[in-house]
Amino acid sequence: MHSVRITLLAGLALLAIAIVLTLSQSPVSVAGTNKVPNNEASIGSTTRSATYCQAHEAIPGGVSAIRLWLDAAAGPRVSVVVSAGGRVITRGSRGSAWIGGSVTIPVKPPPQTVSSATVCASFQLLDETVVVQGSAAPATLAVSQNGAPLNGRMRIEYLHPGANSWLSLALQVARRMGLGRAAAGTWITLVALALLAAVTVLASRLVLKEIG
Amino acid sequence: MSTSPATRRARAAKRKPTRGRKQSADRQASKLADGPRAAMRAVLRQVPTAAWMCALVALLNAACWSIVTPPFQSPDEPDHFAYVKQLAETSQLPATSSEQFSYEELTVLTGLHNFQVRLQPQTHTIASQAEERALQRLLEQATTDPTPGSPNAGVAASEPPLYYTLEAIPYLIARGDSELARLQLMRLLSALFAGLTALFVFMFVREALPEVRWAWTTAGLAVALIPLLGFMSGSVNPDSMLFAVSAAIFYALAYAFRRGLDRASAVAIGCLTAIGLLTKLNFVGLAPGVLLGLLVLSVRAARASGRSAYRHLALGGGIALSPVVLYAGVNVFSGHPTLGLLSTAIDNAHGSLVAQANYIWQLYLPRLPGTVNDFPGIFTARQFWFDGYVGQYGWLDTPFPAWVDSVALIPAAAIALLCARSLVEHRALLRGRAGEIAVYAAMALGLMLLIGADSFRAFPATDGEYAQARYLLPLLPLLGAILALAARGAGRRLGPAAGTLIVVLFLAHDVFSQLQVVARYYG
Repeated sequence: MHSVRITLLAGLALLAIAIVLTLSQSPVSVAGTNKVPNNEASIGSTTRSATYCQAHEAIPGGVSAIRLWLDAAAGPRVSVVVSAGGRVITRGSRGSAWIGGSVTIPVKPPPQTVSSATVCASFQLLDETVVVQGSAAPATLAVSQNGAPLNGRMRIEYLHPGANSWLSLALQVARRMGLGRAAAGTWITLVALALLAAVTVLASRLVLKEIG
Repeated sequence: MSTSPATRRARAAKRKPTRGRKQSADRQASKLADGPRAAMRAVLRQVPTAAWMCALVALLNAACWSIVTPPFQSPDEPDHFAYVKQLAETSQLPATSSEQFSYEELTVLTGLHNFQVRLQPQTHTIASQAEERALQRLLEQATTDPTPGSPNAGVAASEPPLYYTLEAIPYLIARGDSELARLQLMRLLSALFAGLTALFVFMFVREALPEVRWAWTTAGLAVALIPLLGFMSGSVNPDSMLFAVSAAIFYALAYAFRRGLDRASAVAIGCLTAIGLLTKLNFVGLAPGVLLGLLVLSVRAARASGRSAYRHLALGGGIALSPVVLYAGVNVFSGHPTLGLLSTAIDNAHGSLVAQANYIWQLYLPRLPGTVNDFPGIFTARQFWFDGYVGQYGWLDTPFPAWVDSVALIPAAAIALLCARSLVEHRALLRGRAGEIAVYAAMALGLMLLIGADSFRAFPATDGEYAQARYLLPLLPLLGAILALAARGAGRRLGPAAGTLIVVLFLAHDVFSQLQVVARYYG
């Protein structure tokens, strides 16, 4: 059937364009951290709504996301506000139900670097446990929970789009994909690509034969 | 298209079962008596080429996922691997749910930086030749461990042994190779189950919605391309076999509802239920619905053929429940709780029945006025189930950006609307099949209740312990039916194009899901 053929071709063409556009983007990379070691040590936790604030943070200009070392099994919605000198520099929020040892919150990129800002993260919580991770630090540098200092400083990373596109990194990614395997080698990436191509061809042929 | 042989066949299939059809069923029953081989050949001959092709697409897709997903970076894969290791090397079941795995497995996990990578989305897998050389040294070192098996199998320890017994075959085939080679071969066996899942979804839709032939392919292909199916079936996890067995049961029930319950159907449903119960505990959620199905089918058959139909019910039900009876018997005689770990879980239940019912309701639906809010700030249907289905890979730590989940609502809503339109158009037919629909609903409800009750055991420490979309994939045949109905809902002229669009949409979802996983682990 003519409409099936057109739909399939248009769909595959759009898919190809979307892939190329995606691969022409740059992966996010770490623009800076607050130098707190990444050792996943707990410096506090809560099962109730809380606001955590940490001062003396250097915010690189152009930051597009902030990664906080909070750990949860089904994390709550998190809002971040970055301020300096009584002025909000940037803010952002991330929906609930995130999982893992860190949460990344997209923010509006600030135009320039700020050498000393305060990062505040707030969330509503009833029972779920959220753990703050970082390293021991004196009270003057420590992260505060609802205004009371904890016994350490939370690790924070500042992310921005990297300089290279995914396409230019393709070979590097393919090499990495070949590591940690039964028979290591970049050829593994080619096998994956061949399988995906076979899936696409077989599915398309079946559509034309059975639906068209 | 309206005069094609395909349409004529579909029209013929639409008619009620005739005497000839019944004779054919009788011939099949007699072939079953002739021998399992002849019966198997007869059954396989009934499977259309398109169904095999859907199976092949699902198999290749899952095989691709098995490569894209780094070793041991899928939910509980180290635990499932440990179970197989124990079974293959000692012929014994794991003894404890501790995660202190064997020296060999821990060594490999260390070499892969597994504990640093999992649940830490910012950390990639090993990325340098130096790390690779260190891993290879550890792999060699690991093989020197003389202690066989792994008595600790983490969360897998409580699962029944059938899937792990099958996985012991590739494990033993690659016994002389490294642990990573064994894992890859085991993953490929799981990928086979993805193929079976797609095949049975195709066959289910063919039986349940026989009128429009091309819609079967839409359903089978779309399910074959579901990234969550590929991801789970591309790793070592009994879920992969559970999806296939569940899809087979849906097909067997649809077959029996369309053609009547005979001895062969009752035996097939009973055997599949027994296999399901031996595959993964989650099957317990589907079992009451399956037994209800046998009951409804027997009552119908009894109207035509008298009380002898209830013999089929007894036969199917007896086979279905045999593993439970055997398990309970062994436990009673060995002084353990009657239902083993399940009894312990029931004993450990906390909170009132109302609190539990409220929790389970809210795990899927918006809370009712005047009830306690168990999920503050979380719209469970959207964030746990929909977003989880759209994409949560790895150790559920690899989601899409939030905007993708929002955009995905558009095609999901379009599919829901088209499906609703199709159902409204065929509402008269639906009324005639209320019993069959009630059985499928009971199976879905049973599974959802089981997931909810299990999650409630971990509440309030964890809000939705088992609120993971993969646990609903045993209901894939129903999704297949929804997709087939949605395509048909676009109308006779636009239907095939809508079906094609659905397949392309699922293909795109699959491709971008794999790219997301590649970016997270190797970027």
